[in-house]
Amino acid sequence: MDLPSGVRNFSYAKDMAIFRTKAHWALLLLLLVLIFTSPLYLGNHWLSVANLIGITIIAATGLNILTGYCGQLSIGHAGFIAVGAYTSAVLTNRFEMPFLVGLISAGLLAGFVGMIFGIPSVRVKGFYLAISTIAAQIIIIWVINHWTSVTGGFNGIPVPPAEIAGITFISQGSQFYLIIGITILVIFFAKNLARTKVGRAFVAVRDNDLAAEVMGINLFRYKLLAFFIGCFLAGIAGSLLAHWIGFLSAENFRITDSILYIGILIIGGLGTTIGPIFGVIFIRLLEKGISFIAPTLESTFDLPAGFTTGIGPMVFGLVIILFLILQPRGLAHRWQLFKASYRLWPFSY
Amino acid sequence: MNELLQFVITGLTVGMVYSLIALGFVLVWKSSGVANLALGQMVLISSWFAYSMLAQVGLPTWLGLIMVVVFALALGWIIERFILRPLIAQPILSLITVTLGLAFFLEGLVSFIWPKSVAALPHVLPQQVIHIGTAVVSMEYLLAAAISLALFILLSLYFKYSRMGIAMRATADDQLAVQACGIPVTKIFSRSWMFACVLAAIGGILMSSIGGITYGLVHTGLKAFSVVILGGLNSFLGAMIAGPIIGLAENVGDGYLTPLTWPGVKDVIPFIIIIIVMFIKPYGLFGEERIERI
Repeated sequence: MDLPSGVRNFSYAKDMAIFRTKAHWALLLLLLVLIFTSPLYLGNHWLSVANLIGITIIAATGLNILTGYCGQLSIGHAGFIAVGAYTSAVLTNRFEMPFLVGLISAGLLAGFVGMIFGIPSVRVKGFYLAISTIAAQIIIIWVINHWTSVTGGFNGIPVPPAEIAGITFISQGSQFYLIIGITILVIFFAKNLARTKVGRAFVAVRDNDLAAEVMGINLFRYKLLAFFIGCFLAGIAGSLLAHWIGFLSAENFRITDSILYIGILIIGGLGTTIGPIFGVIFIRLLEKGISFIAPTLESTFDLPAGFTTGIGPMVFGLVIILFLILQPRGLAHRWQLFKASYRLWPFSY
Repeated sequence: MNELLQFVITGLTVGMVYSLIALGFVLVWKSSGVANLALGQMVLISSWFAYSMLAQVGLPTWLGLIMVVVFALALGWIIERFILRPLIAQPILSLITVTLGLAFFLEGLVSFIWPKSVAALPHVLPQQVIHIGTAVVSMEYLLAAAISLALFILLSLYFKYSRMGIAMRATADDQLAVQACGIPVTKIFSRSWMFACVLAAIGGILMSSIGGITYGLVHTGLKAFSVVILGGLNSFLGAMIAGPIIGLAENVGDGYLTPLTWPGVKDVIPFIIIIIVMFIKPYGLFGEERIERI
């Protein structure tokens, strides 16, 4: 690992620590203070953007564990998020359960559904797996759309706001603390998962699953575990999304959203903890920028009527393609390069 | 009983069109090992282009169809040259995701150029009604199936006898050996993408001439995946046989399962078949089982 010159570690635990110098701790503290005070000076609009970013980071981190670390491509992530969202919505709305029960069971149910659709991964990979997860997405959305007595079908289902121990999270600011709190926990979990036995087993499975099996890694167990963890986080994200939006319909979980999650990982950098965070912020701000600028462009330059709806997917598609061709290791790699260069500045050798 | 015959005939004929679209996938997969997930969007954009040529510009049908084929060839060439070629020898994950990016891009392009979500393609095929036994079938369906079958036979002959076709089969077999023989592999990749686009375009025209142009064409492309999964990824014959099976399952299932479950069951049957095939026989009916060595 890279440290500023002159810093030495004399124990294994210190060498493996995530935050290793006083400067690291100071920066972390500064960042946390900055994040937790942001409701004071951010407007409602930007807080809602931040909330969406937080929720998306949770989901993308889940997908990153599944695809980035364990190498199991899933193009049904929006479907698993939908499972979580609807579980939480149905439990809190129809059965009037507390929010925390909804949150946890959303994660568990999404995880179990993910495991079921992940079973083929034991025998197949790559494209086969991609297709079976697309199938999962389509089947899940179909069930949600048609199981009207439970999910509300095409009419959607209203979701009560989240409530923990008498505190109701209604305003964007209060939800911000809930969502960002969970997001930080999830990032912490993901960062540490990657450094445990399980995380290293995932990486071994990704790099060559046969070799991993020969080394004594139980493929069936670890692949399904990756599906469970990935979809568990998707379910958590879905539950938060449900309580954040306040009203669910299957429109929120299209197959293009699943593709967007893959795109987020590509842009951020697969198999790094920081990657999904960069990817999500990049994509969500890009989305914001496009939805801000496109109508203005359309009216000033008299563009065809489809410009506003079409430009978003076009730009996303293009960004995914360009990143794959020009920067396949994503923004996380740029970030590494940047860190390496400022550490050595001004003597870059 | 008479409705069963109706379902069977509709299913078989529509399934042939699925096969046609699936052939394009198999072609690219065999020659370059790229899994093309943008199939549905390729079908969609070619159908809209056909709509432009036939309904908006108002070309005569034959000229319009030629324009569509030219467009598809150009599209295939561009996709291969600018998107897939820079990624040669990259891991399979990149190759799959780049086609997802392409799918996104094409979808955006379609809603950019053709903001309407639904349109009717002028009828390319005659639509007399034909009575087969107790079933009533439009001529369109039968002709669509016949065209698909004819194209399949044509393609098989091309692969069997033409120089380029033999080179393409050889590339599928062993890229290095082919390069050593002095066959330009990139040209073969480019050719296979062009063919795939043309097949997708023809499939799209056949489908949209029957059912109109909707976003559902993307789902038609997705159903073609269930065809390739069932038939086996690298088998033309598999795709040709699996197509009608999927069409049959879809239509018969739609007829008999809808009262038991929910409406729209038709659209998920192919995907349920995918999951079942994945569990039982992941390499499909005719697919070659890959044996990996470390």
